[in-house]
Amino acid sequence: MITVTINGKVCVAEEGKTILEIASANGIEIPTLCHHSSVKKYGACGICLVEAEKMPKLMRACSTVAMDGQIINTESERVIRARKTALELLMSDHDGDCKGPCSLNCPAGTDCQGYVKKIAEGDAFGAVEIIKEKLPLPASIGRVCPHPCEKACRRTNVEEPISIAFLKYYAADKVHNEGKHVVATKAPSTGKTVGIIGGGPAGLTSAYYLASKGHSVTVFDAMPKMGGMLRYGIPEYRLPKAILDKEIEEIASIGVEMKNNFKIGKDASFEEFCQKFDAVIVAIGAWKSMGVGCVGEDLEGVWGGIDFLRKVSLGEETNIGKNVAVVGGGNTAMDACRTAVRLGAENVYVIYRRTEKEMPAEKIEIAEAKEEGVTFKFLTNPAEIIGENGKAKQVKLQVMELGEPDASGRRSPVPVEGKFEILDVDTVISAIGQKVNVAGFEGLELNKKGIIVADEYTFRTNNPKVFAVGDATNKGASIAIAAIGEANKAADVVDSFLNGDVVPYVAPYVSERTVTKEMFADREVLPRAVMPCRPAEERKNDFKEVNLGFSDETAIEEAKRCLECGCHEYKNCRLIRHANRYKLNPSKFSGEKHLHETERKLVSIERNQGKCILCGLCVRVCDEVVGKGILGLVGRGFKTVIKPEFKDQGVITYCKDCHKCVDACPTGALKFINE
Amino acid sequence: MKLVVGQGSCGIAAGASKVYDSISKYNDGKFEMGISGCIGMCYLEPIVDVYDGNELVHRLVKVSEKDGEAIAKAASSGDFSTVSNLFISEEDSSFLSQQTRIALRHCGIIDPNDINAYINADGYSAIKKVLSSMTPEDVIEEIKVSGLAGRGGAGFPTWFKWNAARSSKGEQKYLICNADEGDPGAFMDRAVIESDPHNLIEGMLIGAYAIGASEAVVYVRAEYPLAIKRLDEAIKQAKEAGFVGEKILGSGFSCNISYKAGAGAFVCGEETALIESLEGKRGMPRLKPPFPAQRGYDDKPSNINNVETFANVPWILLNGGSAFSAMGTENSKGTKVFALTGKIKRGGLVEVPMGKTLRDVIFGIGGGIKNDRPCKAVQMGGPSGGCIPFELFDTIIDYKALGATGAIMGSGGMVVMDDSTCMVNMAKFFLDFTTKESCGKCVHCRLGTKRMYEILTRIVAGEGKEGDIELLEELCVSIKDGALCGLGQTAPNPVLTTIKYFRNEYEAHINDKKCPAKACSDLLSYRIDAEKCTGCTLCAIKCPVKAISGEKKNPQVIDNEKCIKCGNCKTVCRFGAVFVE
Amino acid sequence: MCNSCNCSKNKSDLTLLDGVLEKYASVKGSLITILQNAQEIYGYLPTDVIYYIAEKTSSTPAKVMGVATFYTQFRLQPIGKYLIMLCQGTACHVNGSAKILKTIEEELEIKDGETTKDGLFTLKTVACLGCCSLSPVMMINEETYGSLTSDKVVSILRELRGKEVQ
Repeated sequence: MITVTINGKVCVAEEGKTILEIASANGIEIPTLCHHSSVKKYGACGICLVEAEKMPKLMRACSTVAMDGQIINTESERVIRARKTALELLMSDHDGDCKGPCSLNCPAGTDCQGYVKKIAEGDAFGAVEIIKEKLPLPASIGRVCPHPCEKACRRTNVEEPISIAFLKYYAADKVHNEGKHVVATKAPSTGKTVGIIGGGPAGLTSAYYLASKGHSVTVFDAMPKMGGMLRYGIPEYRLPKAILDKEIEEIASIGVEMKNNFKIGKDASFEEFCQKFDAVIVAIGAWKSMGVGCVGEDLEGVWGGIDFLRKVSLGEETNIGKNVAVVGGGNTAMDACRTAVRLGAENVYVIYRRTEKEMPAEKIEIAEAKEEGVTFKFLTNPAEIIGENGKAKQVKLQVMELGEPDASGRRSPVPVEGKFEILDVDTVISAIGQKVNVAGFEGLELNKKGIIVADEYTFRTNNPKVFAVGDATNKGASIAIAAIGEANKAADVVDSFLNGDVVPYVAPYVSERTVTKEMFADREVLPRAVMPCRPAEERKNDFKEVNLGFSDETAIEEAKRCLECGCHEYKNCRLIRHANRYKLNPSKFSGEKHLHETERKLVSIERNQGKCILCGLCVRVCDEVVGKGILGLVGRGFKTVIKPEFKDQGVITYCKDCHKCVDACPTGALKFINE
Repeated sequence: MKLVVGQGSCGIAAGASKVYDSISKYNDGKFEMGISGCIGMCYLEPIVDVYDGNELVHRLVKVSEKDGEAIAKAASSGDFSTVSNLFISEEDSSFLSQQTRIALRHCGIIDPNDINAYINADGYSAIKKVLSSMTPEDVIEEIKVSGLAGRGGAGFPTWFKWNAARSSKGEQKYLICNADEGDPGAFMDRAVIESDPHNLIEGMLIGAYAIGASEAVVYVRAEYPLAIKRLDEAIKQAKEAGFVGEKILGSGFSCNISYKAGAGAFVCGEETALIESLEGKRGMPRLKPPFPAQRGYDDKPSNINNVETFANVPWILLNGGSAFSAMGTENSKGTKVFALTGKIKRGGLVEVPMGKTLRDVIFGIGGGIKNDRPCKAVQMGGPSGGCIPFELFDTIIDYKALGATGAIMGSGGMVVMDDSTCMVNMAKFFLDFTTKESCGKCVHCRLGTKRMYEILTRIVAGEGKEGDIELLEELCVSIKDGALCGLGQTAPNPVLTTIKYFRNEYEAHINDKKCPAKACSDLLSYRIDAEKCTGCTLCAIKCPVKAISGEKKNPQVIDNEKCIKCGNCKTVCRFGAVFVE
Repeated sequence: MCNSCNCSKNKSDLTLLDGVLEKYASVKGSLITILQNAQEIYGYLPTDVIYYIAEKTSSTPAKVMGVATFYTQFRLQPIGKYLIMLCQGTACHVNGSAKILKTIEEELEIKDGETTKDGLFTLKTVACLGCCSLSPVMMINEETYGSLTSDKVVSILRELRGKEVQ
């Protein structure tokens, strides 16, 4: 037996053992990529380098037999520098997507590709399980999300993006319709308490994940029911509240307490509130409408967009009259005008100062509004709301034209001098933005716009035990999925805070490819599934849901269109794990690289040169373990690639079903295809 | 009277065979003809030596085919005054007289194709002495006394390796000669094999006896066809004469010698890669340990030495280890052979005792820089070595002293550079080489050298960025630490030494987009001095892209938009009117 | 020889290898020697020859291919009648081999590693020919040409081409 000291720990081991073997037997991880116990030592990757006292050179732990009395450091500065360089070099020649662009572009980081694949396999329950790792309201969000994921979808290089959001809606509904529920398993109670102010998507999301971590969570909301903007800002025809109710029930089912009609400043002061909990999350949203900003905006019959939508949701009387003008071009404007149609208004106008092309609202919303008879007054802007007896009567519209592009790249509208238009109106709805109402939250630091300041990575406010997320923070109102993303991350941070140490959120480093349209030239064109909906003439008269949902068949076909950009091995990839552990500078050594090219020469194995790190494990396993020697190294130096033998044009069938090479591959360069 | 035509590869390339044939054609039978290998004065090839008995009476240099008749007549008549224009000058003779030759002692003197020529020059007497009166331990001791160290570059004590291989357990052991001389710019080993193959065979036999090997293999570069041919012939002759094979010279010692030709891979100069290649595999280095002395060729204990190392062995055994160690410095004994090339007046093979200065070799023996331009530096050890600037030319030839400069002794490549050599471009040249020669196995070398090459490429193209020097330095350190074998571990040396001594050149490329040596075409512009230009328009005629215009007899002008910087105009101008900025 | 598919026409005459294989196939570690001999016979290493060697030496095609692509000596494509080996050694570099390379590339309209359309010339840069004192140097087939200049190279190439035209 020999005694070796590794990182200060005295380890006793049999003679003849390698440093790596002794370290791992003693719970010390030395990273490796090219090492595998089933094959001969190779020493290619240079990741397992360690330093020993009195030895001038660094040693490869995988192959160096430890000597008695040796004092080894596996994480010295010199070791880390060499190891980090090796990883940075490997990443510089790595052309692959760890995650799909859909997932990377989702503010909540939902694993879109993962759940789309489950749907393609007919496993809706599995899909919802994946979704609920990141967001607890799939049926609701699937209906209302403006889906940044789809904007990033690579399928646009072929024809149109995958209908990711609607597939989420499909899967969640299917699970509900089968009477099933996907809920997180709850960890044992920690005895810590969290008070969350605001029961919208952000508050509910934080509550769900914190409760699942064993904390006792209570959500407080000023409104009579939970759901926030999803309930009071989104019309019933887009998101039936029965659906939302089910999802909120599921959140409550893991032990989240919910208290409605509770208002800070009225029912308790913020200070009192904070004292009751170990941690507090402020997720109060942005509930104040911005005014039109012209003469007459205070007249009776002039509404704020979200105020109007809230009133309708609460079932209150609105008396909007026959002629309704909605100002603004966003989704709230669309919700407002289509709601006005459903309330019986005869002439509904949308006043927007640019053209349709610049409208931020979803295209489908604009199209459906048009179908429902909404008149769009593009290139107009209210100059004055003319009243009669204190009530709005007419809108004077300034005619606009597009000028030079502004900072955001959109061409900014400029008034055409002296050109006006008059519109008769009974109601004017201003849907041009929302503000935060921080009344009652004394002591929280606000920015110049009066919005709560929260740290970008810890979501912490100036009060150390108070965290803030969603529309009420930093940049103000955004989309629900952004609030959910923050809320989920904040749940982790608050959890770490409750465990004694705040661990800020750090976006994991992932490898991403740069693609061109040409790379997709050989893909078959498969049109995007169209969401069936009720005819305009029928739907405009009621608040029942417009969309009818995908059939199983449509959903599965649609899901199968996915190009599966993200790496199948992301979760098990040793390369990306080590890359994150050593905090690489990924672009440091950028240069020529082996491009992403897939090939199916072996019948059930897809190989991807772009992800190969030339560790040679597949070659060695095929030769030394399987005894077939089908794969080989070809070429030399940087140009070396791994290839199977090459004579037949067809696939090589005699390697079928073994896939030991795939199992040994430390990255996602090899993929077993089970057909 | 005997005329001996030097026929090494470079002699033949310079026309030695044609000279031989031409003289032979006019041979009236009154004189003999013979060949030898390479004397090492490559810059004077083809060379014809005139012997009267064993005495060299004339040395004719830069002989051409058309001199054949005159030389034959002179030889026939014994009156060489008619070809006195071909006599070597006194100055050129000093190229040899300043050297001390041990490894090269027979080169260019004896006929490499004739075993008797070798035997007549004391050949095979060392192995006779060893087999008749020495134990293997005695041999190892003698080598230890001599202080002989590996001449392949690393300078590891030879006796130590032999002793390790001898002590290693195993019935079958191998002795391997590394003749895979890959350093581009070095040809010492080639010259030894071509000129004195029996010396190598004898040295290997002694080594095999010392370690207890019954099989010896020469791994020789495929690019050396003549060396292979002569080695093949020499092995046959040695077998016939009973020096190679069973029960050599009636002793109990048996040893077979064979050779294998490499197939073009620099990395096979690394001993474990060489073994892989000998085994018929891709020449990718193995992990060490186990060292070849424990498990080498065919997993048997193996000992690998370089050609020059073996070439010293017979001399040491004949003259005694202490005669060898009497030469040199405290930690570097004996002599070292260098291939002196580049911007040097007298290039060729040089063997000097350790302890001489670089100046002695480059200016003393080599005669200084071609065209008397200013000397800038010398590259020692090829792609694994480094440059040593002119200011440090008093450095002595000694493993330690050379190592202290950042360069290495190396296998003997010595490439001299003048002020027209851009050091950044030089570093790029070596990295281009190592990138192409990297076997691709380990990450640090495969990708590290590639990235260094890319960074250097952008610097010489005028696209260098601030921080590139630091990035290179960082890469260098990590590659030295992380690469698997000697090729990768030493690949950063040319970069590190050029940065160390010529950082200002790097900075000029990066910051000012200028190449101080005016060598990097992307950073140059060609101009015509109107004062000097006579308007002959030769440059305009020779310009491949018609970038030069102007009236005849008036100054010409270069359009820098069109100019591709080929330099033709500057080469053809007879008035020195074209200059580079 | 048909390299792109496994069709029966244009197959290499594998019997030419029998002597070589008889001598070396069972000698351990002889793969490089066998490949060198095969290239000597066929001028390059055709795919079916590689497969044949793999079969006869109880190796696998992937392994033989691995060796054939590791060493610069081996060629997988036929070469021209004249193989130009241009030295890229250090001494040649210092003495201007880069310019010679450019000249050859321009004169023959091929890049390093390519063969002219008429199949006459193949250009290959090599590490070092060991004739450093004659640098820059090139070899065309067995002949060595030293102290090259652009003009000299052009006239050598034109002379060789001229010989062929006649």
